[in-house]
Amino acid sequence: MKNLFTFLSCMILMTINSFSQSISSSPYSLYGLGSVYDSDFGSIPSIGSSGIALPSGSYINNLNPASLGYIPQNHFMFDLGGKAILTTFQSNSKSEKRNNFQFSHIAFAFPVTKNSGFSISLHPYSSASFKISNLKLPVENSAENYTLDAIGTGGLNKFDFSYGYRINKKLSLGVSGSVLFGNTTDDRSYTVEKSVTAISKQTDYNGFRGTVGLQYKIDSTFTIASTFKLPALVNASKVQSVQTVADEVVTTIESDVASDTDDYYMPLEIGFGISKRFKNNINLTFDYEKSFWSNTNQSELYGEFVNQDRFALGFIFKSKNNNRSYWDRIQYGTGLNFDTGYLEVDGKRINNSAISLGVSLPLENTFSTLNVSYSYGQKGKIGGGLIKENYHKLSLNLSLDGIWFVKRKIE
Amino acid sequence: MKAVYIIMMLIILPLYLFKNSSMYKYLLMFLFAMSMLSCGTDTDAGEFVVGSDYLAVTNKVILIDTVTVEMSTINFDSLVTSGQSRILIGNYDDPVFGKVKSESYFQLAVDNYTLPSEGSDTNAPNYVFDSISMILKYDHYYYGDTTKVQTFNIHRITQKVKPNTDDNSFYNNSVLNYSSEVLGSVSYKPRPKEKDSINIKMNAAFGEALFLKFKSREISDFETFSEYLKGLVLVPSTSNSSSVIGFNLTSKVRLYYSKYLADTETSLIKDFTISEASKQFNSISLGKTGTLIQNLPLSNSNLSSSLTSRQGFIQSGTGVACRIDFPGIKQLKNISDKGAIVDAELILRPVNNSYSEMLPLADSLQIYVADKLNRISGTLLNSAGSSVYGVLNKKSDEFNENIGYSVSVGSFLQKEMLRKTDSQSALILTLPGISKSVDRIILGDQKHPNNKIQLKIYYISY
Repeated sequence: MKNLFTFLSCMILMTINSFSQSISSSPYSLYGLGSVYDSDFGSIPSIGSSGIALPSGSYINNLNPASLGYIPQNHFMFDLGGKAILTTFQSNSKSEKRNNFQFSHIAFAFPVTKNSGFSISLHPYSSASFKISNLKLPVENSAENYTLDAIGTGGLNKFDFSYGYRINKKLSLGVSGSVLFGNTTDDRSYTVEKSVTAISKQTDYNGFRGTVGLQYKIDSTFTIASTFKLPALVNASKVQSVQTVADEVVTTIESDVASDTDDYYMPLEIGFGISKRFKNNINLTFDYEKSFWSNTNQSELYGEFVNQDRFALGFIFKSKNNNRSYWDRIQYGTGLNFDTGYLEVDGKRINNSAISLGVSLPLENTFSTLNVSYSYGQKGKIGGGLIKENYHKLSLNLSLDGIWFVKRKIE
Repeated sequence: MKAVYIIMMLIILPLYLFKNSSMYKYLLMFLFAMSMLSCGTDTDAGEFVVGSDYLAVTNKVILIDTVTVEMSTINFDSLVTSGQSRILIGNYDDPVFGKVKSESYFQLAVDNYTLPSEGSDTNAPNYVFDSISMILKYDHYYYGDTTKVQTFNIHRITQKVKPNTDDNSFYNNSVLNYSSEVLGSVSYKPRPKEKDSINIKMNAAFGEALFLKFKSREISDFETFSEYLKGLVLVPSTSNSSSVIGFNLTSKVRLYYSKYLADTETSLIKDFTISEASKQFNSISLGKTGTLIQNLPLSNSNLSSSLTSRQGFIQSGTGVACRIDFPGIKQLKNISDKGAIVDAELILRPVNNSYSEMLPLADSLQIYVADKLNRISGTLLNSAGSSVYGVLNKKSDEFNENIGYSVSVGSFLQKEMLRKTDSQSALILTLPGISKSVDRIILGDQKHPNNKIQLKIYYISY
């Protein structure tokens, strides 16, 4: 027992460590609050991250809080996910491969009444990890250059509380509140002539954002849904130190000076989704989401922001032979995702498109599944000062389904 | 830290809830696998960057080269020239600065104030004076045209070699009375690089008289000696000289005499040396009438370069120095909310054709910090506290545009920019060896047509 306890403690520490480790580093992480990170639960990664209109039936649907109205009674759900990403970065002149492993989420959901449910989840929201080495940049007002080295770390986490309520057989509503918190560090070193100036800043962020969602069943096979993520303000405050090294002597210009910095604005995002079942074993999902970034008047500190469109399409296949054999119980999914991006770098958008497929493997004779999804995607493009990222992403989501009160009866 | 507690809670909670479930092992396996895999993350080499313009949004690096730099010429009223260990002698007509002249005064001493006494009273030796010469040893310093003949005369100082001031120093403007009688004279082509020394035959009557004082034992110690011969001064002939030459303090006056004992004759010498460097000084003067700097004011004010054809002047020995002011430096604070000068380079360019092989440029400039009355607070220091010099860039091109002295003034200007009070410091430029040479230089100011002074300030907003 004691050994088990030690083992568990160690593992928890390691898990925490890897969770809080800096996530994928991308040249695009320089902008905004970093690269926004998708962390979908259950089998959603396999269907192109679509599913606003899907219920939280066998796993927690993180895309729409209204889905929580469909949590089966006496069940509680747990979702834990991780990702392995192999990215190839390509520019005009070179290419480089990098592997990255990370936790993507931990979520927990349970029914409150027979037609309402609650969930809490924690996942990374963005990663501000980037690195710049030995970059020559022009000194303003001259033909000379200086050298920039920079390292960015940190990112934001998102802590969600969601509640869904099924009003009647057709309509379900949901609300969710997200607390965004975290910090980013940005250490830059400017080599100008014979001096080296180090500017290190840590920026703390915190904000709250509300989301409302609804799902409406037109008939037993067809559901339409919508989500409204409300505009939100993420407060930013920074602590900065500036030092110059000249003649091998360090001169501190400012040390840990706290100041307000430009806050970050989250836009209004409106999503629509449909889910339609065909022949009782194929399910189609399609989502469209528009994010009104242009209206946020984001500070230039975070980059140039433009309105974003996202399209997601997914298919789920299931054998018609219900629960006969293990192989018949496996569910297959595939999907497409296209996203125009919200960033404009040097006047060019950073698109992202991905294709995905995956399986949900039942664990023993329960509703619990291990969801394995693979997706291949591209972000950005080569040329015009941009970098193209080709990525292979393997998502592993463990969706556990427990039964609340049955065990008591067995005892 | 907040996130850590939440994660802990969210991991422990399912572990507890699924404790008795068959799912427990899957949960453990999954957590374990994730922990292991997450160690395999690659590091970023930082070679991919997008959006160079964006990188300059938060912190801008700017070159500022439009800050006003004012140049003027000042005149130090006196430089200590005693104790410099150089006999500086000569004169030349500088095309720009005027008539430069250096006389050198020194006191002599001898090791032994008696003649050797050997033998017995009945068989005493007889000593006879032969000749007397001055031997001057080059210290390899020279300025001007050494291909021309230099002439100077030796005179006898007629007053005690003793400073008028409390600090026991002689200055470049100190003079002592000397007799008009010439004790020796030389006209020679200086060869300070090739030869060791020059030899000047001195007046035999002077030598004989001096020798007799020894022989008669009227001179028996330094006291009696310095009373008789207070010192000598080397005075260049203004009619015939084109250079200034340096000699070191092993130079001496040598008296040759002979000893007769029985039937043998022995040649002997007596050396009169400069035993105390503090009793040797050079009186350096500049006849600047008719030159651009003839109206050089007193030491606490300055002559603007706008009145001297956009030029600033430095001359060692005579106390002419160049002053640089940065009247607009505090305005750099207004460029951005927060900003710092991280480096700055001041490039001083000597005026074309103002220097030559005969009037060469010094390899470096010495930089001092001074207040508005030209009172020097010390040398210009870098952030490490060591002195900053102006370093000559000798790379010459067709128009000599690259020839200049580069001075690193970043740390100085950053302090000046942040200075709370109204007073401002200026830089005063001199040449090395200010008290013992006559090197000079002419620098262009910001509006000089060809050889502009240039200030490059590298500024970062943060």
